[in-house]
Amino acid sequence: MRWMVVACLFGAAAWAHETTKEALPEGPIRERHELMERVGKQAKIIGDALKAGKVEPVAPAAAKIADEAAKALPLFPEGSTHPRSRAKPEIWQQWPEFEKLMGRLQADAKATVEAAQSGGDVRTAANRMFGNCKSCHDRFRVPEKK
Amino acid sequence: MGWFLRVGLLGVLPWVQPSLADEPGSAERGRVLFALAGGCGCHTAKDGPVGAGGGEVPTPFGKFYGTNITPDLETGVGAWSEEELIAAIRDGVARGKGVESPAMPYYWYSGMSDADVRDLVVYLRTLPPVRKENRPHEGELPFARLAYRLWRTLFAPRFERVRERPREPIARGRYWVDHVSLCADCHTPRNFLGAVRFDLYLAGTERGPGGDKVPNITPHETGIASWDEDDIVQLLRTGFTPEFDNVQGWMAEVVEGKGGGPGYRDVPEEELRAIARYLRTVKPVAHKVEAEED
Repeated sequence: MRWMVVACLFGAAAWAHETTKEALPEGPIRERHELMERVGKQAKIIGDALKAGKVEPVAPAAAKIADEAAKALPLFPEGSTHPRSRAKPEIWQQWPEFEKLMGRLQADAKATVEAAQSGGDVRTAANRMFGNCKSCHDRFRVPEKK
Repeated sequence: MGWFLRVGLLGVLPWVQPSLADEPGSAERGRVLFALAGGCGCHTAKDGPVGAGGGEVPTPFGKFYGTNITPDLETGVGAWSEEELIAAIRDGVARGKGVESPAMPYYWYSGMSDADVRDLVVYLRTLPPVRKENRPHEGELPFARLAYRLWRTLFAPRFERVRERPREPIARGRYWVDHVSLCADCHTPRNFLGAVRFDLYLAGTERGPGGDKVPNITPHETGIASWDEDDIVQLLRTGFTPEFDNVQGWMAEVVEGKGGGPGYRDVPEEELRAIARYLRTVKPVAHKVEAEED
């Protein structure tokens, strides 16, 4: 009997643990997470290309980042938080700043496309674009916590 | 005859190469060590001043605050001798107090070379002295110093003491990771008594310092197997992952330095590359640290 109680307790604990690690709900929180993942993949393509001294992959990847940045703001409806989301409430408290940074990402991504297509300074343009990611994360994203 | 001479010269070379251990301490080299040590960030509050204490270190055994290590005579370490400072860094013995809490990772620093620890101390003496009282730890155990001594006896890892750092890049990378930059300290989990889990060396933890999740940095697919040497150097230098996501929390502080002080980004690239090279050679460990979503 005692082992059954212990097993049930372990089972309950495991279930509670899994519940706290539930997947993101359908809707804007999950969609923006997926959007950021796609941005990350394109950013890696650009980083790998620059490392290899290749320019060709940069323009299409930067164009995709510009497209994603254009779709991002509606995925942050006011108060859309979740225990697994790292979005800070400051996003909505300082919405014009957030909006400005997202707009700058889009503009700098387009400038990177242009630099890649016109033989300009792709590395500087890309670094400026990636700088927006950091500025936004530092202000509006919570560091990972236990 | 020619080959004989060359072999002879190669044999003599190690004897004529200058040894850092025989040179006087250098603040310039010490600054690089300070940067490689992530700017000794626990000893700096978020907004500085550098080394004046107040960095928060929350642990399961209470919240600790880094002490003032500026050369202020009354509230800092200005009155400490070189030997006393070295004993605090490598042996965990605080002048006039006894054994330090394991929140100060002296056991990792115990493998720091004689030459490097001396340079670090020389650099600490150049910090502007700041008069700022140390903040007492919160939730400290009764008879804490006794408990710390017991912990040191039972759980503190012991490392060989060397005169100077290894020259060969991978060995030097290991030396930085284990004894100066302390990647191993934050990225290796501990058991409930705070003892280091060497079976999960560098494999990450969900309960890192400050409550941050700390990723697996072994070359396993649950770690950073897909990263190459350049990716690791880029992260240490800029804080950007290969996906151009940026690190935050404690890792951002050690990269950027804290309170205006130096961090990994101020370290010569060859040393960051040595770290990267070593990390590519460590044993891959399957250990997934669950990430939060964006």
